[in-house]
Amino acid sequence: MTTLRIWKHFPREDLYECYQCARCTGSCPAMEVAPAIGPRETILKCLNLGHQDVVEDERLWLCCTCNVCEDRCPQKIPISDLLVALRNSAARRGNIPARLVLAVELLAKTGRSMIVHQLDEMRAHHGLAPLPPAPIEEIRELLSKTGFREVIEF
Amino acid sequence: MKEPESLTEKTSEHNDLRIGVYVCHCGKNIGGTVRCEEVAQFATALPGVMLAKDSLYTCSEPGQEQIKSDIREHRLNRVVVASCTPRLHEPTFRAACQSAGLNPYLLEMANIREHCSWVHLHEKDAATEKAKELVAMAVSRVARLMPQFEVTVPVARKSLVIGGGIAGIQAALDMADAGYKVYLVEKAGSIGGRMAQIDKTFPTMDCSICILAPKMSEVGRHPNIELLTLSQVQEISGHIGNFRVKVFKRARYVTDECTACGECIDACPQLVPDEFEAGLSIRRAIHIPFAQAVPSKYHIDMHHCLNNQGIVACDRCFQACQKKCINFADRDQVLEFEVGTIVVATGVDVYDPTPLTELGYGKFPNVITTLEFERLINAGGPSGGELIRPSDRKRPRKVAFLQCIGSRSKRASPYCSNVCCMNTIKDALLIREHWPETEIYVFYIDIRAFGKGFEDLFQRARREGVNFIRGVPGEIIEDINTGDLRLLGENTLLGSHYRYTMDMVVLSVGIQPRKDSASLQRMLNLATDTDGFYMEAHPKLRPVDTTSGGVFLAGAAEGPKDIKDSVTQASAAASRANILMSKGEVTIPAITARIDRDKCTGCGLCARVCPYHAIEGGKELGYYRVVEAACQGCGVCVPECRFGAIDQTHFTDDQIVSQIDRVLANNPHDKILCFACNWCSYAGADFAGVSRMQYPPNVRIIRTMCSGRVSPAWIDRAFAGGIGAVLVSGCHPSDCHYNNANRETARRIERFWKRMERAGINKDRLRLAWVSAAEGAQFAKVISEMHEALARTPADKVHKEADKLREFLSKKSSSQ
Amino acid sequence: MKYALYLGCAIPIKYPGFEATTRLVCERLGIELVDLPFACCPPGTSMKMVHYDSWLVLAARNLCVAEEAGLDVLTLCSGCVNTLKEANTILKKQDARRRKVNRVLEDHGRHFAGTIEVTHILDVLYQDAVVEKIVRKMEREVPLRVGCHYGCHYFRPPKYMYPEELSPSESYVPVKMDHLLSIIGVEPTEYSRKFLCCGSPLGANMDQDAGYAITRQKLGHIHDRNIQALSVICPSCFEQFDMGQVVLSRKFKDNRKVPVFYLTQLIGLALGMKYRELGLDVHRVKSRKLLEEIGMA
Repeated sequence: MTTLRIWKHFPREDLYECYQCARCTGSCPAMEVAPAIGPRETILKCLNLGHQDVVEDERLWLCCTCNVCEDRCPQKIPISDLLVALRNSAARRGNIPARLVLAVELLAKTGRSMIVHQLDEMRAHHGLAPLPPAPIEEIRELLSKTGFREVIEF
Repeated sequence: MKEPESLTEKTSEHNDLRIGVYVCHCGKNIGGTVRCEEVAQFATALPGVMLAKDSLYTCSEPGQEQIKSDIREHRLNRVVVASCTPRLHEPTFRAACQSAGLNPYLLEMANIREHCSWVHLHEKDAATEKAKELVAMAVSRVARLMPQFEVTVPVARKSLVIGGGIAGIQAALDMADAGYKVYLVEKAGSIGGRMAQIDKTFPTMDCSICILAPKMSEVGRHPNIELLTLSQVQEISGHIGNFRVKVFKRARYVTDECTACGECIDACPQLVPDEFEAGLSIRRAIHIPFAQAVPSKYHIDMHHCLNNQGIVACDRCFQACQKKCINFADRDQVLEFEVGTIVVATGVDVYDPTPLTELGYGKFPNVITTLEFERLINAGGPSGGELIRPSDRKRPRKVAFLQCIGSRSKRASPYCSNVCCMNTIKDALLIREHWPETEIYVFYIDIRAFGKGFEDLFQRARREGVNFIRGVPGEIIEDINTGDLRLLGENTLLGSHYRYTMDMVVLSVGIQPRKDSASLQRMLNLATDTDGFYMEAHPKLRPVDTTSGGVFLAGAAEGPKDIKDSVTQASAAASRANILMSKGEVTIPAITARIDRDKCTGCGLCARVCPYHAIEGGKELGYYRVVEAACQGCGVCVPECRFGAIDQTHFTDDQIVSQIDRVLANNPHDKILCFACNWCSYAGADFAGVSRMQYPPNVRIIRTMCSGRVSPAWIDRAFAGGIGAVLVSGCHPSDCHYNNANRETARRIERFWKRMERAGINKDRLRLAWVSAAEGAQFAKVISEMHEALARTPADKVHKEADKLREFLSKKSSSQ
Repeated sequence: MKYALYLGCAIPIKYPGFEATTRLVCERLGIELVDLPFACCPPGTSMKMVHYDSWLVLAARNLCVAEEAGLDVLTLCSGCVNTLKEANTILKKQDARRRKVNRVLEDHGRHFAGTIEVTHILDVLYQDAVVEKIVRKMEREVPLRVGCHYGCHYFRPPKYMYPEELSPSESYVPVKMDHLLSIIGVEPTEYSRKFLCCGSPLGANMDQDAGYAITRQKLGHIHDRNIQALSVICPSCFEQFDMGQVVLSRKFKDNRKVPVFYLTQLIGLALGMKYRELGLDVHRVKSRKLLEEIGMA
């Protein structure tokens, strides 16, 4: 099932245009500092081995999401869209970094992606009123309908 | 809309018809599927047919003799041959007719092989029935054919060569040597072009200017060549054999007495970046492009001269010139002359990599392009041939070449520029030869060493220690203190990230069509390919011709090319032009459009769609007329006329309507009527036949020269007559044989669809498909799809919609 | 000039000083800001990566809130502008996706119609009318060598962020912050790899050290050019540079530090606002000394 869902969100034909010039990986800041897979290898693996190999690989998440790869791609392959599709698929298989699970759980629980102690005091220090509460009921209902539970329990 | 005419009425006009029909077995090619005797028997009964015969090989000597003797013996005045595609043997049978005294335009062929027996191999009955109908269609058409006489127009024995690079030089010399007068027009101050800028050539490492300069001087002194430098073609009118050319010649401000002594340069106070040196050095306003320039004369770049306001504010060069060759009163002029042929050799531009900000070109001084590098290592260049880098004029110890800059990219040019790989390898070897301690790195995607001697050169570079790294850098970082460059990228073969520090980076930039190529394209009615280069008439068999008669292509204007290919093509273009000029006349097929002056209202719609500007006239004149020598016979103008004033010779409305009516005569609701253009779609259907691709037998193909000839009135007639489906097919949009005349096809079909909607007819029953000559499979697929759709449509629905259309049309005509 | 102020999460919660400054600066420049019941954007770096459909629906909800008020959205964060602008474009252009999203939203009485635009504070301040106001209201120049950091999500992918302003190679090279700051007497200073990521998303999602390794590279290029201060338009980039310098200096014993400002804080300085008023006191890398040097503390 998941196989099909990736290509539903991303036109696979675009990948065939990749001729492995490595401009994407040459520009990739994450690859300079971490053992990321990089778009070039990701695309090659999707084409030659099928995407299973990629979506089960933790290194898929080593990424700055800076999109410089797509910006430099001479074939204008929508790499950012591809990576979103692949990571969504990885997430459904439970391949999600722990920090990211915490972040989206927080969002689903509180309606915000940050939390701090003594928020009101801090805002008062800058002369600001307390932050009105987030519309958490509506957000949770929306998330129930979009199928977010496929990935994260909340 | 014309009233439908019945078949009997029409033939009664032609009761003196004596048609001979010949049905060919083509061995088992046709005879194995189609019962040819039965078809011949059927043909005997068709109106106007005097005799019908079947033979084993009609194209053989005995087969042709049979036709000839029948023409003489039975006084046949029309001939139908039912055999293979007319694209193959029409010339054969036309010649046979002619030798027997029958006008060759009174022959018609029924294609019962490629379009019938080969594509319905296992449906003998259906194929035989289809063959009968194809023969009947041919008989209807042949009855309406008229004798035609091809006109010949004289070809002026003079040629125009546009562009003075190596291709233009070679073409000019070849034609001039053959004895024809050549005007060579070059926009720069000297001929030589890109080749003059290059240091060495690949794959044999000859010195570029050393082998070019002798050819340049030959042009300069050739009695048959009139060299026009600082000149640009401004206007071209006329047609094959007789072009009228206007050339704008900029003032030189230096007379022909100039001996190129150079005294004037030191006197000139105006400094300008030197374009010949790719901006790496400066020149004066008075200058000569380079030492070997032809003509070897100085000229003043008035744009940068202090006297550019029209008054003499500075006369230092005048004072310095002992022979007094400076003439500030010199003026631009427009020259006019006539030529019979034209060779376009306008060359290419070089990609400017500034937009690729990650590479730092234009920002980091030590990032240069290959063209700049050529000047940098050239003995005549700004550094006197010393390899130095721009930032500190020191010799670089580590040099990187980056391949595919501006090529194979949707962000620049999508095609491979063809010359960059070998050029880089040549440059790398040059560095190796003169400065062997230099480390050289070539960052590449694919090395394309496809030509003669190319792989050898590549292997030599490897043996000599040039480092080839697969994976071009994504980013270049400049060290602000040293000017050194750090290259970040991935070595894809090792799968590892690299960081190299280089002293200098050379961007191997691609080549592009000239920025101003559109103006010449319009003047000469040239087509361009999707990359913007001028398009050849046929990619394989007519590689230097254009679709405009008498106009030929040479060099990189047609597509990226190296020097050898440019020279080869230039000689080919010259030879093609020489054929025309040596014959001195050219025959034009009698398929041109004709305008009936009595019916013409002078509205000019036809002239607007003509891709060749072959229709002249105007409102003031009250009518338009076709210039026969310029008309290429596409017929796109005919459907455009609202007053029925235009028709196309040999493809008249009457002739084609007779074919349509024949298709409508029996069970039209089961059939698909297909209009196919001669060059792509008809040939595509032929290709389906040659490849034995099977498709349903209910399609009937009518050939026109261009899909632009297909008149909406024909489609009306077919649907009103109850046809099941109609297919209009032509060349792919940019491949049209007639200079994008099929844009009109698309426009007319769009409009027709809207009309079908208004009339309440399912618009899916009319299909427009682009099928190239190579797309037999596509043709078969389209027919199969249409057949399936038709099979789902009940016959009474087809009839009901035909009624609706007739009602709609009659309402329309009464409201007008 | 009236906008729906979209605060997002990081600014009101972690850096309320930016919110306070921006509100004050906008008031001085005659830009009216309206607060609406928005929720988390949600970030393209988290929610979108995990579940695209949820990301799109939550973003659409925010867009609907602004549509209901009939106001264009003004964002203060590169992440927020990225999510909301991209979602707005996709929902406007792709009928199937819009229908699907609207089916979910309809139960909550919302409907995405595609009637508003999303913009960022930098683009708002860069408008001619606002620049003229800045020039008129300016009380002093800010003579600092400033390096601008735009933040990747502010302008990439350009097909969503700046489709009308693509370069010949169909990329987008942002310049507005440099131009804007030069108006208030800043010396915008180029540095190598100016458009390199700050490292924040890599650090936040996966590997803090790897994220800071990128930050360190970037800071190296910034020090090479003797840049005195950084200007950012995104709270995540801010945190990465501000907090990052504290972490990196401890780890690598490097005492070179460069204060980081949120864009409106620099504009605020020019408009005569004070250190505390601008919330500069809570920054980890202190700017007081630097500002004293130019007589502005």
